[in-house]
This record gives sequence, structure tokens and C-alpha cells, in this order.
Amino acid sequence: MSVNYEQILEALWETVYMTGAAFGFSLLIGFPLGILLVVTRKGHLLENEPVSKVLNIVINIFRSVPFIILMVAIIPLTRLIVGTSIGTAAAIVPLVFYAGPYIARLIENSLLEVDKGVIEAAQAMGATPMQIIFRFLIPEALSSLVLALTIAVVGLIGASAMAGAIGGGGLGDLAITYGYQRFDTLVMFITVAILVVLVQGVQSLGNVLSRTVRRS
Amino acid sequence: MIQFEGVAKTYQSGKQEIHALNGIDLTVETGEIYGVIGFSGAGKSSLIRTVNLLERPTTGRVLIQGKDISTLSSKEIRTIRKDIGMIFQHFNLLNSKTVYHNVAMPLLLAKTPKADIEKQVKDLLEFVGLGDQAQKYPDQLSGGQKQRIGIARALATNPSVLLCDEATSALDPQTTKSILDLLRKINKEYNITILLITHEMGVIREICDKVAVLEAGKVIEQGSVFDIFSNPQQPTTKRFVRSVMNDELPESLLLQIQNAKSSNAIYRLQFTGNSVGKPFMSRVSRDFKVDLNVLFGNVTELQGIPYGNLIVEFSGEPSEIGRALSSIRESDIHIEEVNNYVS
Repeated sequence: MSVNYEQILEALWETVYMTGAAFGFSLLIGFPLGILLVVTRKGHLLENEPVSKVLNIVINIFRSVPFIILMVAIIPLTRLIVGTSIGTAAAIVPLVFYAGPYIARLIENSLLEVDKGVIEAAQAMGATPMQIIFRFLIPEALSSLVLALTIAVVGLIGASAMAGAIGGGGLGDLAITYGYQRFDTLVMFITVAILVVLVQGVQSLGNVLSRTVRRS
Repeated sequence: MIQFEGVAKTYQSGKQEIHALNGIDLTVETGEIYGVIGFSGAGKSSLIRTVNLLERPTTGRVLIQGKDISTLSSKEIRTIRKDIGMIFQHFNLLNSKTVYHNVAMPLLLAKTPKADIEKQVKDLLEFVGLGDQAQKYPDQLSGGQKQRIGIARALATNPSVLLCDEATSALDPQTTKSILDLLRKINKEYNITILLITHEMGVIREICDKVAVLEAGKVIEQGSVFDIFSNPQQPTTKRFVRSVMNDELPESLLLQIQNAKSSNAIYRLQFTGNSVGKPFMSRVSRDFKVDLNVLFGNVTELQGIPYGNLIVEFSGEPSEIGRALSSIRESDIHIEEVNNYVS
């Protein structure tokens, strides 16, 4: 095998770090956007057609660019934010641009599942729009939100492997440089196995968490 | 208490305009239980939602305690909504929260101190008969229990009005009755004005003082429950009344009469209050030369007043029948010829 144990551990850490950081920032962007997508809809709490339209178009634009292209396309922006376009930290920027709009859509979907009647009941008891969002919409959708976010994390793990292609480090990088370019099947096998275990773990955690927050 | 003045609501559906409400004028007095009945699509839901502005009237005004609510700011609307409780056909409870939390919700929104919330929720749950279910979740309860939680939640802010949006339509007859009993108790004990909408005439008969019949966004008939039930005017009202007051001749009997080609006169006799229980039949057949044959009859109670309905065949000389009829009329019995049954 052309790599040692430490290199694999380091790559795993880089993947976890990229995914984790990118997820954190994406959530920061995606969550408010997701809520905004829902409440500005026609007939919803804060109906606002212009905001809704612009938001949808922008999110769709980001959602339609394949990650590998997005990564290259925003290199100038990445350089502006982190000072470089290569390395793990640099990979986080395109990951956020990829996952933020994705999470916004996932959250929109989950929140739309909440029974309209519950919102009506909230309005009837004199709740403010903020109270309706935080005391009714989010708690009622929480279980589904957790599952949706699990999907986002799994997606991010996959995308972070692709970030290896521009020298982002992580398991993807390892698999490409050693497994593919140096024909080291064992490295390829090990990285894939680790990714499988990682994804399984994240999904199981998501399932358990979703079940526990169903009732709060 | 609640006044609708020329309330109209028009929805835009594509290029089509849908007139859900077409100039509603209604007055609900304080302490009343007022029922609005109509088939689906008659505009009931829109009507009840104009009271707490979940729907805004396109034209016309809704006044609550003399105040036009359509001129209020959103903040004032939220304040007035706390004075108007509402319960729903599908309960609309938070499934992620306990029964306790659901009932406490309006108080949490109003930032009531925790100790007060605890006491009040406990009292409310006792009142609706679910004192021991506080820590359960809505999906662990039956429909009737869920509606009780809905009621407790609606009462949490001590409202002076309770809106019931098809509150019993998802419940079985027995549960419906127990929920209606609870609503009556609320009305009596707290003097809360209740406005309810329903498509079940049984609900109206059971608890309402007054009723309005809604059709195509218009009130086609309104009045006290007793008057509407004993003397419905409009075809739709008659259909509703017949759905719970079986005063139709049975099919087989109808055929029998038709086949006999009887020339005898058939009359519907309606008695109310005092006239029920008077032995008019034996008296009439003794005083006049007529024979009375009861084809169909029933006696029910409307708002505590007995109400009887008989379909009687009179046979004898026409002049004697005429005299018999006027004698019956004198004793407060309403008579109506039902020859049309035989036609």
C-alpha cells in the first residue's frame, strides 16, 4: 500500500472537518432562507411575491450548477474569502455555496408538510408571525427537518470527496491521487469503505435523532 | 356582540371570481349559541373566519362589541383574537407537544408567568375532563379527547366568544353529544357567546338558540331554532329540518294512499307547547261526524318545548270535516293540508 495509516487518518479528519464546517455555514445560510421560502409564499404568513420570486430564482441558479463546475467557477470568490483556492479550508467555500441553497430547499419542503390547520390555530390564538415560526412551524416539522438535514450531510460528504479534485484534501483526494492515479486498489478500497461507514453512521444518527425530537 | 353588516367575500381563482359570501347580515347577541348551517360550499367557513379575520371581508363590516374589526392594526387584531377562542373540525393540535403544552400555548404566547400557567392549565384540563392526561401526546388520544383539548386551549385566554368550525363533524354521534354538552356547559358557566358552523342539523337542534341557514353565500332564513324547525320556509331549510325531524310519510304508506285513490282529506297537524297532550282526537270525533285515522306521527322536543307532528286522514262529510278542522285550529294546533302527498 502506497499510503500509511496516518495519512488515512488525516484524510478522514479532513473530510469530517470539511463536511462539518461546510454543514455549519450552510445551515446558517440555508435555514433562514428555507423559512423565508415558506413564509413568503402566496397565502402564507408573510406573503411577499417579489422576495419569493427572487429567492427562488437565485436558489435555482445555484442548484442547477454541478458542484464540480461551481467549485471552479467561484475560485476568485474563494480566494477573496480564505486567501487561497487550494486546500481544505478553500474547499469549504464552494461546499457552502453548494449545500446552502440545497438545505434551503430541504427545509422548505419539511416546513410545508406542517398542517395548514396548525398555522390557522396559531393565528386564531393571536400568535405573531415569529411565534408561529418558532413555536409552531419548527417544532412540528422538527423530526422531518432532522431527516432532511441528514440528507444534506450525506450529500456534503460526497461533495467533499469531489473537492479532493482541486486539492481539497480528505478521503476523496486520497482515493484519486493514490487509488486512481497510482493504481493502488487497496487505498481505493479502504477510502470507499470508510466513506460507506461514515455515511451509514450519519444516517443512523439522523434516524435516532429524528425519532427523539418527534416529541419535545 | 357580533354583527355582520353586508359582509361579502370574493376570491379570485384565475380569471374567475368566486363569491363565497354575498352580503351577510347577522347579529349574534351576547350569551347566545348561534348556529350557521349550510351544505358544503355555502360559505360557512369563510363566514366564521371573518370574525377573527382569518379571512378579511371584501366588502362589509364585522363588528365585535360595536367595534369594526377591519380597521384594526395587526397588533390590535392579535389582541382581539385572544378574546375569541376557536376550535376546529380537525382539532389542529401540535402533535409534537404534550396535552399540557398544547393547552398552555396561548398563555406561553402571552408570556404569562409559569406558576399561573400551571394552575390555569390544570383547571382547564379538569374542566374538560382530561385532568389525568396532561403528559400524553395528542396522537395517543381519541377524537373526542382531542377536541376537548382544543376546547381547553381555546378557553385558556378567557375569551368572551368561542368560534366552532365544524367542531363535531369528525366525531361519532355519541362523542358529538358529549362535546355539545361540554359546549353548552361553557356557554352557561362562563356566559361565553358561541358561534358555530355545521352541516348537521342535529347539532343545531341540540344546543343552538338561534340558527341561520346559509346558501350560496347568502342567509336564506334565520330565526330561533324553534321557529325554524317547526315552520321552515325555504326548500333548503326544509331539507335540513327533515334530516333530523322525520315528518315524512313512509314510502309504503304513501303508495298505499295513492293506490286507494282515497278522496279523504289528509292533514298535517303540528302542536307545540301546551297543545301537546290535549286529547283533541277523541274530542273531535265525538263532537263531529268524522273519523280520524293517524297515518304518521311523532313528538320531539325543541329547546325544551315539546313539539308534535301528526299526519291524519279525515273521513266524513266535507262540511263536518270543515267544522272539525276549525275546531282544531282553535286549540292552537297548526293545520296544513297535505294533498300533495297523494298527487
